[in-house]
Amino acid sequence: MSGPLTGYRGIVLTQAWAGSYATQLLGMLGAEIIQVEFHGRPDSWRGSYDRPIPDTVADTPRATANQHPWNVNPLYNSVNLNKQCITLDLTDPAGVEIFKRLVPLADFVAENFAPRVLGNLGIDYEALRQIKTDIIVCSLSAFGNNGPWRDVPGIGGTIEPISGMSSLLGYEDGPPLNSGQMYPDAAAGLNGFAGIVTALMHREMTGEGQYVDLSMQESSLTFIGDALLEERMTGNVRGRRGNRHMTFAPHGIYATADNKWIALAAETANQWTDLCGVAGGDVWLEDGRFSNNAARKANEDALDAEISGWVAGHKRDDLAKRLSNAGVIAAPVLDAHEVASDETLRERGFIVEIDHPEAGTHPHSGIPVQFSGTPTVVSRHAPLQGQHTQEVLERLLGIEEDEYVDLVNRHITGAGPS
Amino acid sequence: MITNSALHGIRVIDLSTSVSAAWCVRMLADFGADVALFEDADGHAARRLGPFDDAGNSVIAEYVLADRRSAILEFKSLEGISAVRAAVAGADVLVCSGTRGEMETFGLDFNSLLQLNPGIVICSITPHGSTGARSKHPGNDLTTAALSGWASINGLADKPPLKPSGLQSSYCAGTIAYGSIVSTLLARRKQTPLRGQFIDVSELEVMASTFGPALLTSQYQREPQPRKAKVDMSTGPVPVKDGHFALTISRPHFWRDAMNVLGLDDLAEDPRWGTSWYRKEHADEYVDRAQEKLAQWNKMDLFDTLAALRVIAGPVLETNELSENVHLEERGFFRTPENGGPQYPGPAFQMSATPAHLTQRAPGPGDHTAEVLRDFSGLDESDIDALLASGVAK
Repeated sequence: MSGPLTGYRGIVLTQAWAGSYATQLLGMLGAEIIQVEFHGRPDSWRGSYDRPIPDTVADTPRATANQHPWNVNPLYNSVNLNKQCITLDLTDPAGVEIFKRLVPLADFVAENFAPRVLGNLGIDYEALRQIKTDIIVCSLSAFGNNGPWRDVPGIGGTIEPISGMSSLLGYEDGPPLNSGQMYPDAAAGLNGFAGIVTALMHREMTGEGQYVDLSMQESSLTFIGDALLEERMTGNVRGRRGNRHMTFAPHGIYATADNKWIALAAETANQWTDLCGVAGGDVWLEDGRFSNNAARKANEDALDAEISGWVAGHKRDDLAKRLSNAGVIAAPVLDAHEVASDETLRERGFIVEIDHPEAGTHPHSGIPVQFSGTPTVVSRHAPLQGQHTQEVLERLLGIEEDEYVDLVNRHITGAGPS
Repeated sequence: MITNSALHGIRVIDLSTSVSAAWCVRMLADFGADVALFEDADGHAARRLGPFDDAGNSVIAEYVLADRRSAILEFKSLEGISAVRAAVAGADVLVCSGTRGEMETFGLDFNSLLQLNPGIVICSITPHGSTGARSKHPGNDLTTAALSGWASINGLADKPPLKPSGLQSSYCAGTIAYGSIVSTLLARRKQTPLRGQFIDVSELEVMASTFGPALLTSQYQREPQPRKAKVDMSTGPVPVKDGHFALTISRPHFWRDAMNVLGLDDLAEDPRWGTSWYRKEHADEYVDRAQEKLAQWNKMDLFDTLAALRVIAGPVLETNELSENVHLEERGFFRTPENGGPQYPGPAFQMSATPAHLTQRAPGPGDHTAEVLRDFSGLDESDIDALLASGVAK
């Protein structure tokens, strides 16, 4: 491994998106991440065991003939890079016992079950610190580990509305919307990553572990914190703005001649002048309605109509290039395939091709940070379920093959339905 | 002095001019770092972002610039840059909003800063990173939403693509930059002598990272994920009597209990409906019926009923409703800075041993110029007076 977190190890019970993304980021920065998955109850982002495999996945060239639905779910495979996966039946005391033997070898434990689950299994923070006094435990739950909503479950699709995010996302004349994918999970993953490294820093300084309690609702709220503060400072309840900015105009997404979309904005007087320059004339510059940002903001409907009419006569990529080169804030709206094939993202090493034995080779979103002194690398595809159980149990606990086979036979570990 | 902080003793030079970098610094400060913000005479760019309160204070600046001291310094003068370099010499971290090339034009090229202070961790947070074809192009939350793929899946198919609301790219990039800086400080602790390094954070790549599941799903499906044709209860909030409500079910028992609450016993008891893929393929058979039932409820009554059954559910709350939320109040989520001011939301996570602190609201520009030049740049009173007299510092 490489990266600034090389040498740290997490034994993690993370699943779905938020927890898995947090621990993937830690793994991308070099920490050894061992996911402990419930034997018999798959990570929800692997999907159910009887989920049909889509034809597009079944047809993909790949290393192995056998495909299992739980190993070819793109959701799971997108947020579990640089990890190993073992399975344990944590409802069986023997499974819990093995988990407890792993904890002393870990720097941190992370999980995103409902708050009562770890306690029910006998492996909550208080229990784990009895095993390892300086352990760090990070819980990512819907509403945090205390308060009246502690035991209410949630997922990104319900946290988005109850955190206020949905009330801000949407068209100006339309209803509240959820994002195209459950964005609060991503926000929680980023903050979970931040929380765990903060706790590691404190442990390095003092030798003291601690409990990190992340509420997905609160994590999301901090990302719209300015809207909450606006209500406190001004009394205004912010509504939906579409693509418009709170301060600047123009600021929007416009249809192009080739049935695509372009985003463009001007935040400075120079950018506005440059935009007018690319548009090819002084008409807008001389129009009193657009003479400065305040005027443009006051006449934004008229401005958007003018820009829409102009943009509609141009092709997306050509126009985006001309505007960007002129110093205007502009970009093509890329779809998922265009992001994956984007030349600049590939040149910078962000988009990486990853070979997965059951799913084939695909481009992935890679590591979103570059370090000059401790470079990072995507070194592992998302693990197959239980792929590393035998190797990890032998390497870390000295469990040899006979004992491992016995664990499989007793359904304490294994892959697929128990 | 606060000592139960994870970053106690870490000194940060804040040369941010963007919300993303300012948010990164806000997190460093909340967890105990001592921060000096150097801003030019025009003030930090966030101060010019609306909305504003009656006194003309930017809400954004109030939020992202809290917990630090501010000095006004003229960066274009040799004396000003010299004072910044002196501060860098004694710091652990420098955060900026410029690429490597842009910082060089200010006389702050990173190699020379590393020579000045071999242990300094320098983090640059920019729209597109410090290298590559887009590195010189301007960008913001709108264009990173466009380039990362998020705009292509947000919103409705018959309307324009939609950026995430507000300043999401900035908060995401700031947060990952924070975690990356702390990770680098962890690595640095294991080195003798201390070795600093340069961290390059591209707001676009951070957003494309959060887009990862949609990107890979689109690859597996061989079709880019589109925007929704319409909103129904399987994808987002739908109308209820007093607003909107999301009932985006995941596990089978959530489905069973929710359908029972809505009085749709046949949907509750048939186990086929318990799986997501089956519901997706047969949405036409249940969506209208269930939404008709949902429309008869008030949002908090339905939430309370489902919460008692431990079923996931999401009433759409607005900011004023969240300000009065009992759960958040009990968790102590809204905090008043120790030196007064409005109640701030946060932090994003609670730490048992090293909680986040909110020591002061955002400073005014130059509120601490003299003490920053003394404590960070190491200047004596006569040097400070000279800088103030010449207008280089204010």
